[in-house]
Amino acid sequence: MVGSIRKLYRNTLFRLSLLGALLFVLSLFVALGYVYYAVVQSELRRVDRSIDAEIAELRTEYRESGERAILLAKQSGVLSQFATPDSPLYRRIYTEAGLEPVGRAIILRGLSYERLYILQTEEGVIGNLGLQPEDLGEGFLDAETLQKDKTEIVFEKPVDGEDNIESNRGRITTDYIYLENKPVLRLIVGRDVEAVMRTGERVRTAILTSSGIALFLGLLSSFFVSRRFALRVEGFNRLATDVRAGNLDRRAPRNYSEDEMDLLAEHLNAMLDHISRLMSAMRYAGDSVAHDLRTPLTRLRTRLETAAVELGDTDEAITLYEAAGDADQLLSTFDSVLRIARLEAGEQRGLLKPLDPKPILDDLAELYEPACEDAGLSFTADIAAKTLISADRGLLSQAVSNLLENAIKYTPEGGAVALVCRKRRGGGVEVSIRDNGPGIPSWDRERVKERFVRLDKSRSLPGSGLGLSLVEAVADLHQAEFVMTDNDDLPAVDKGGDPDRPGLRAALLFPRVKSKLVDTKPETEVLVKP
Amino acid sequence: MRILVVEDDSVAAEYVRKGLMEAGHVVDLAPDGDLGLEMARAADYDALILDRMLPKRDGLEVLADLREDGDAVPVLILSALGEVDQKVEGLRAGGDDYLAKPYSFTELLARVEAIGRRSDPTAAVTKLKVGGLEMDLLARTVRRDGQKILLQPREFRLLECLMRNAGRVVTRTMLLEKVWDYHFDPQTNVIDVHISRLRGKIDKEFDEPLLHTVRGAGYRLQV
Repeated sequence: MVGSIRKLYRNTLFRLSLLGALLFVLSLFVALGYVYYAVVQSELRRVDRSIDAEIAELRTEYRESGERAILLAKQSGVLSQFATPDSPLYRRIYTEAGLEPVGRAIILRGLSYERLYILQTEEGVIGNLGLQPEDLGEGFLDAETLQKDKTEIVFEKPVDGEDNIESNRGRITTDYIYLENKPVLRLIVGRDVEAVMRTGERVRTAILTSSGIALFLGLLSSFFVSRRFALRVEGFNRLATDVRAGNLDRRAPRNYSEDEMDLLAEHLNAMLDHISRLMSAMRYAGDSVAHDLRTPLTRLRTRLETAAVELGDTDEAITLYEAAGDADQLLSTFDSVLRIARLEAGEQRGLLKPLDPKPILDDLAELYEPACEDAGLSFTADIAAKTLISADRGLLSQAVSNLLENAIKYTPEGGAVALVCRKRRGGGVEVSIRDNGPGIPSWDRERVKERFVRLDKSRSLPGSGLGLSLVEAVADLHQAEFVMTDNDDLPAVDKGGDPDRPGLRAALLFPRVKSKLVDTKPETEVLVKP
Repeated sequence: MRILVVEDDSVAAEYVRKGLMEAGHVVDLAPDGDLGLEMARAADYDALILDRMLPKRDGLEVLADLREDGDAVPVLILSALGEVDQKVEGLRAGGDDYLAKPYSFTELLARVEAIGRRSDPTAAVTKLKVGGLEMDLLARTVRRDGQKILLQPREFRLLECLMRNAGRVVTRTMLLEKVWDYHFDPQTNVIDVHISRLRGKIDKEFDEPLLHTVRGAGYRLQV
């Protein structure tokens, strides 16, 4: 499960659509946030404005009423003409007169509890908020609970009579009225904002819920879209793997929707058609050249042979046998070129299967040991048991045989040749042929793998320059690496005036095989009759 | 042996016929697949040499038709298509052996004699005998003139292959295929070295050599 999620996360389209879904949810969140702001905050601001307006109105009424009472009192002589606001009587008349209309107004307006009021004077508190002087704090000036200009409170609202009370949220503003810099009245005006707040909460919940739903649906759709896409891409990948494995007749499935993927499939198929046309043209050319060349060569060879047999045991006969041998050489070179071309085309990849190379290498060691001895070379085989590589017996044998023959050919008499097979770190397997002959200079090691390349020193010896090309082609087919390095394992022998040269280690480095061992018996064994 | 050669290249066919006749066989020629099939059905041949690429009817088709009739005549397939996979295809179709062009005539002769009806190298025998040389296939022992000879397993198989084809030439390629199951030709003289070791064991201490080298061809075990 974790693996498949990780795999899904590697999917480009999944990542893109996931990003798209997240961006969409983010935009949705911002847009709905604006809706929330527009609905709730602007409503609250409207409430605040109406509170401010009402406070201003009440203040004006308070002042006008107070000043009018002072004026009347002065005219009627109740108050001295020269009385100042400092005098208790002035103050008393002013506040009583001011409070009268304001108090009446708030009592009437506050009956519905839509509007909330508290009036606090030095004498006491009136209003519908149900707050007692102690709730408002000690004294009058330094009360801290309601000191703030604007605040939110929870108040008790009677519903359908006195018994039923619900807690509603309100929004209040506190203000003071001063007389000669001394506060005479604290005025708290509020509004019931329960409805607005509830709407706000519902909008908030709706925003969160809808964003969640959008996120879920977005993830779900990106999952399905990318899975569909991934399946089709995986189809192409499988196709490419199959084709690389040599199944050139595989084609990408099409749905003829003419979308990009379908067009890609069409183009891929056209490309594969082209490749297989080229391949078959090449094969046809190769096969017909092979046929056309081999037929006259067969005749040539047969003529030479027949003539040689007729001549009996003479020098001329030997010359004719040698000529026939030359014809064989010509053809074996031609064969090698064709074989390398086929190996490079990868058609034989299907032959590969997991096997333990030990029996194969033991056979080769057994085959070549006498030849080494005959050439005056010591031969050792150091073949680890229970290794596993993916290989074909015939191809592996041929590659190792080519390398062994090179070692035998180039190592001077008295030298040593070793066939080594051992595990590599990381689970791979190294099959190497080591000698203490002249070696190959490091700058020539890549070049000698090319076709028909022969180093100057080897020109005097028989060979076609295809042996290592074939080894390279076999290695490629096996996804093995063919490397040549100096060989310091074996004691040096006289290497013809170049004592520093360290010999050659030609190694096939096979990758780790994951699958199990299937069968080590070559399939051809059943077919070849004794 | 009576041998039918189905081959469209008349020059090559003529050489093959001449060579086989010199080796003491009776040879008929068929220039195309249809005629080849007709002739193979009409007469009882000991071996068939069948080219794969034939006019009118492909060599493998001829072979398939013959096998369908229940005709078990030994068939040597001959072709310019020498790749291993095609070789396998030919053997699967019912061929007894496969030879790629250009072949040396001795190779062809050796192989056709090895598969021919008169010789039966696969016969269920338990003892092989050539002159004073005796091989017990069950006990895996070899004696010459009553004297026990110790052989390595591979030397035993090598000798077995030579003894089963006693009197006939066995080529190096045949030995490589039958004893080692390799289908490529090594450039060096690996087989010769093995033969000379074997020779050292079976011939060295005896007066009359049994294992002969045939120039340009291979080896023959003969009294």
